[in-house]
Parts: sequence; structure tokens; C-alpha cells
Amino acid sequence: METSALFDFIRGPLAWISFIVFFLGLIFQFYRFFNLTKKNPHVIYNPRPRKKITGGSVQDFIKRASLSVFGVNPVMVIVTTVFHLCLIIAPVFLLAHNMLLKNAIGISLFSFSESFVDTLTVIFLFCGLFFLLRRILVARVRAITDWNDYFILFLATAPFITGYLAYHQTFADHYRLVISLHILAGELMLMAVPFTKFVHMVFFFVFRFVIESEYSLGKGDRTW
Amino acid sequence: MAKINTAGVDTERVKERLDEHKTKMKLSLKACAHCTLCAESCFLYMARDKDPKYTPSYKFLNSIGLLYKKKGMVDKVTLGEIRDNVWERCALCTRCYCPLGINIPEMIALARSICREQGVYPRFDRE
Ligand code: HEM
Ligand code: HEM
Ligand code: SF4
Ligand code: SF4
Repeated sequence: METSALFDFIRGPLAWISFIVFFLGLIFQFYRFFNLTKKNPHVIYNPRPRKKITGGSVQDFIKRASLSVFGVNPVMVIVTTVFHLCLIIAPVFLLAHNMLLKNAIGISLFSFSESFVDTLTVIFLFCGLFFLLRRILVARVRAITDWNDYFILFLATAPFITGYLAYHQTFADHYRLVISLHILAGELMLMAVPFTKFVHMVFFFVFRFVIESEYSLGKGDRTW
Repeated sequence: MAKINTAGVDTERVKERLDEHKTKMKLSLKACAHCTLCAESCFLYMARDKDPKYTPSYKFLNSIGLLYKKKGMVDKVTLGEIRDNVWERCALCTRCYCPLGINIPEMIALARSICREQGVYPRFDRE
């Protein structure tokens, strides 16, 4: 019954370990990133005063969007936005996950219907496929791609592939194996977030919001 | 492992420079999604028929990124290639846009500074 002990470990302690590594790792990296910045000692010279984001006509909005990265790479921006939204919404508001959470700690979040999350999962996987094809086919992306990029893409999509297979009972005779692989894949991804390319999540929030630059999205009153 | 010929390169000094900026540079290199969304923001990329070698991320990965990867153990030929990436292919105009907020010009500027210290820089008077 050696394998059974392994399954129990994956479902029990490793799940807790991965959550702890994920949250503490994020806090640690946030702290490290933030520590690289310092209060801006200079009077902020703002060559391009920020227009109010709210208000303005639809035409204004379209004009602003067309001048941004959205206007240059619309397909990529749409796909990556959908990809990241699904990445967060699908697992967090999934009934199965929330039931496990309720059993474990007594509280859970709101859940969408299973069929809706299933649709998000499929959409996510198509976005992932788009990234994969882009990496292989577009010369400029290929030029800076290394094995780590494929590995990271695999790490991000593996929980969704295995979650999909488990939900649809594709390999019904081996459900236990599939769900164990799913849990393992999810745990590996969570633990990888603070320490791999996934750390771009922290980077984005620190450097687009905290640092003063012509592209800052927030107050941007610090420098580095 | 084959020994690289680092003759003429003060690798200790290169390492020292790399260590000075280690945290920020390594985090920036790690965070880069390798997505090339920065490409069109570079006027040289646009002016050179969208040659992939002009993508801003290509330029910092193959300069400062390479130096960190090799931990400063580079030969003169490699420094020459880095020189092409950070001088020939970049005017350091600081207009590149990265959705994640990666400071691309700073990375390229550091690579330039390290090259210059090692006597590798464009010689407009001779070339
Ligand atoms: C860490 C421990 C995790 C556990 C214990 C776990 C457990 C489960 C369970 C029991 C299911 C339901 C399968 C079924 O209906 O038969 C499921 C589905 C799913 N999981 Fe997880 N999961 C974990 C982590 C993750 C992570 C990190 C992600 C993604 C980032 C993820 C994404 C999904 C998705 C998208 C589905 C649903 C697929 C569909 O309905 O098509 N899971 N998970
Ligand atoms: C919430 C904050 C986040 C922001 C603002 C963000 C932003 C970005 C941006 C701008 C890109 C480059 C465009 C692209 O290639 O799609 C990207 C790529 C990527 N992100 Fe995120 N991201 C975030 C969180 C995450 C998380 C938590 C994960 C996974 C656990 C993730 C996984 C990925 C992957 C796998 C790619 C590369 C896709 C490819 O191979 O081209 N991101 N992200
Ligand atoms: S520098 Fe920014 S825009 Fe360019 S490839 Fe890296 S993450 Fe993408
Ligand atoms: S600083 Fe260099 S890479 Fe950035 S836009 Fe200017 S020429 Fe291109």
C-alpha cells in the first residue's frame, strides 16, 4: 500500500505545504521587490499629466486604447487578459475546490456553476495553445524562447488539463490517479509562483503601481 | 568542461559589477515573460524590418542576461557580440514599453558600462 501513502501525502500535508510556500513566498518576494525602491527625493516632474481615466467620451476611450499596447497588439492583449482572468477565476470560484476548503477550514468562497467553470477551463486551455503556437511559429518570440518558457507554460496548464480530465471522468477507471495528478500539478504550480517566471505577478504590481514613470498606473511616488 | 579563453577580460571585475546589481537585475530577468510585447515600442525594431534581433528583450537577454548566466566568465568574442546588441541595435532612447514594468534601458546601460570597462565599445574613429 505504498502508493496509497503517497496519495495521502499529496492530498494532505503537501496541499498545506504548497499553500504556505505560495503565500509566504509571495510576501517575501513582494518585500524584496519593494525594498529595491525608495522614496523619490525629487519633486515629481510630470511631463504628461495623467488624464482622468473615468469620464470622457467613448471616442476618447477608443483613441487612448488605440495608442496603447492594445492598439499595437490587440489579439495578444485580449488573449493574455482572458488567459489570466480564467487562471484566477476558474480555480478560486470552483465548487469542488470550495467544498474542499469548507471541509478543511470551515469557510469557503462563492462558487460559479460547474459548467461555467468548465467553459473557462476550456477557454484557458485554448489561450495556452495560442501561446504555445506563438512561441513555436513567431520568429521574434522563438528568438528569445528557451526550455524554461515551455516548462512554465506546461506548469500553468497542467492543473487545468488534469482538472478537466478529472471533472469529465475521462479515465473513469483511473479517477484516483487522475485526481492525484491534478492535485500534484496544482501544488507544484502554486509553489512555483513566487520563485519562477510566474513571479512577474509581483513584479507587475510593484513596478507598474509604485515606481514613478511615464507608464505608471498608480500613484508612482517611488523610484529605484 | 571546456575552458573558455577569458584572456584580456578582467572577469573578477565583471563579476563585481554583476554582484552590485544582482537582486534587481536577476529579478527583472526572471520576471520577463519572454512575450515580446515590447518589440513594437522600439523604433529601431520598426526601422529594421522587425528583425527579431532588435526586440528590446532580445537585446537585454543577450547582453546582461548572458553575463549573469555565465557569471561573468566571458571571452572577448562574446563581449563583442554583446557590444553589437547594446550599441548597434539600441540607441538607449529609453522609450521601450514593457507591460510588466521591466526597466529595459537600465539593463542595457549596465551591459554597456561593463563592456566599456573591459575596453569593448564602438570605435567610430577606427571602424
Ligand atoms: C492544491 C490542491 C488542489 C486540489 C486538492 C484540487 C482538487 C480538485 C478537485 C477535487 C476537482 C474536481 C474534479 C472533479 O470534479 O471530479 C478539481 C477541479 C479543477 N481544478 Fe483543482 N485542485 C487543486 C489545485 C488546483 C489549482 C492550483 C488549479 C489551477 C490553477 C486548479 C484548477 C482546477 C480546475 C480548472 C478544475 C476544473 C476543471 C473543469 O471543471 O473542467 N486546481 N480540483
Ligand atoms: C495577476 C497578475 C499578473 C499579471 C499582471 C500578469 C501579466 C502578464 C503579462 C503582461 C504577460 C506577457 C504576455 C503574455 O505572454 O501573455 C504574462 C505572461 C504569462 N503569465 Fe502572467 N500575469 C499575472 C499573473 C500570473 C500568474 C499568477 C500566472 C501563473 C501561475 C501567470 C502565468 C503566465 C504565463 C504562463 C505567461 C506566459 C505565456 C507565454 O508563454 O507567452 N501570470 N503575464
Ligand atoms: S521585457 Fe517585458 S514586454 Fe519584453 S518580453 Fe520581457 S516581459 Fe515581455
Ligand atoms: S532604449 Fe533601446 S531597446 Fe529601448 S526603445 Fe530605445 S533603442 Fe529600443
